[in-house]
Amino acid sequence: MESGEAGSPDRSGLVSEDGKNTKTVLCQRCGSKVLCPGMALFTEKELFLPSMRRKPGAPSGSQEEGAMEGDVLRAHWLVDDMYTFENVGFTKEVGKVKYLICADCEIGPIGWHSLDDKKSFYVALERVTHA
Amino acid sequence: MDPRNDIQRRGGGGGAHTGVFLGGSPALTGAQSRRRKMPPRPADYKLQVIIIGSRGVGKTSLMERFTDDTFCEACKSTVGVDFKIKTVELRGKKIRLQIWDTAGQERFNSITSAYYRGAKGIVLVYDITKEETFEDLPKWMKMIDKYASEDAELLLVGNKLDCETDRVISRQQGEKFAQRISGMRFCEASAKDNYNVDEIFLKLVDDILNKLPLEIPNRELSNSILSLQPEPEVPPELPPPRPNLRCC
Repeated sequence: MESGEAGSPDRSGLVSEDGKNTKTVLCQRCGSKVLCPGMALFTEKELFLPSMRRKPGAPSGSQEEGAMEGDVLRAHWLVDDMYTFENVGFTKEVGKVKYLICADCEIGPIGWHSLDDKKSFYVALERVTHA
Repeated sequence: MDPRNDIQRRGGGGGAHTGVFLGGSPALTGAQSRRRKMPPRPADYKLQVIIIGSRGVGKTSLMERFTDDTFCEACKSTVGVDFKIKTVELRGKKIRLQIWDTAGQERFNSITSAYYRGAKGIVLVYDITKEETFEDLPKWMKMIDKYASEDAELLLVGNKLDCETDRVISRQQGEKFAQRISGMRFCEASAKDNYNVDEIFLKLVDDILNKLPLEIPNRELSNSILSLQPEPEVPPELPPPRPNLRCC
């Protein structure tokens, strides 16, 4: 597994003074709009997200969650109501987690939601683009 | 009622200008940023839409554009998409759709009433190349009659227009079926070619908006819509079926 260091890619310009996203959050692949500016709060929390793309040669069968390739990501956009999203998809649960995916091209996971905290929806900065 | 909804509805008009609004000027005074804390309302309406129909008619495809080459291979094929939030803009209003696809639960009795109950729009899909999916329609209508809200908008979709050469159900047959049901709209679509797919949802939303009383103050109106929804949460465990509320 990669370390997925979410250290500090340059975030200046992405986060406003009051901690909100200054830019539109978009799908990296298809550009589908996920969040409008100012709708989400920058937050740091260690969350494991499976890889967006399967490694070439990796087995295609179902994988246990623990065995899944992925990254621990730290920088997220947080919203407390799923209707804040412009467009987003939710997977069915894996354990108590629903992953967020692009609503249009379904790439993902781009984010994370736990059924234990119904007011927290995270979108990983590294898994989206900003414009 | 969820108090957050009230907060979000503050901020009045101008929802469409968010991008411009927050374009530059990173340096704000505290007061300015406070004023901006609740930027333009996220949505004017929130509506639930469900997609139903027999197995293999392409319900899921109507909800998505393309599926290959995504994490889905690793995750989606085993986990599956549960639902989507999609935003459409119509008549200057921003409408959030929560779209549920019932794929994998096609047996009529296995789709619980919870899916139907909150739905303001129901898309009933059949496959124009498979007669049995058309013949199943009356059974789906029974489910709708039994569980869905009486004012839910209905749209019948003959899918797989891209397979025109294999067509066994004529357009007229579909139209005729829809005509027999009051208020049911009809169209044909191809999820594969993305033909009519966006239009389907716009049409449905348009019909839903038409049914809403326009003169009610925005806030009241929105609340009344919201109250028709189940918790705006992820409802993975569906509650037990509700007794049939429709008389006759």
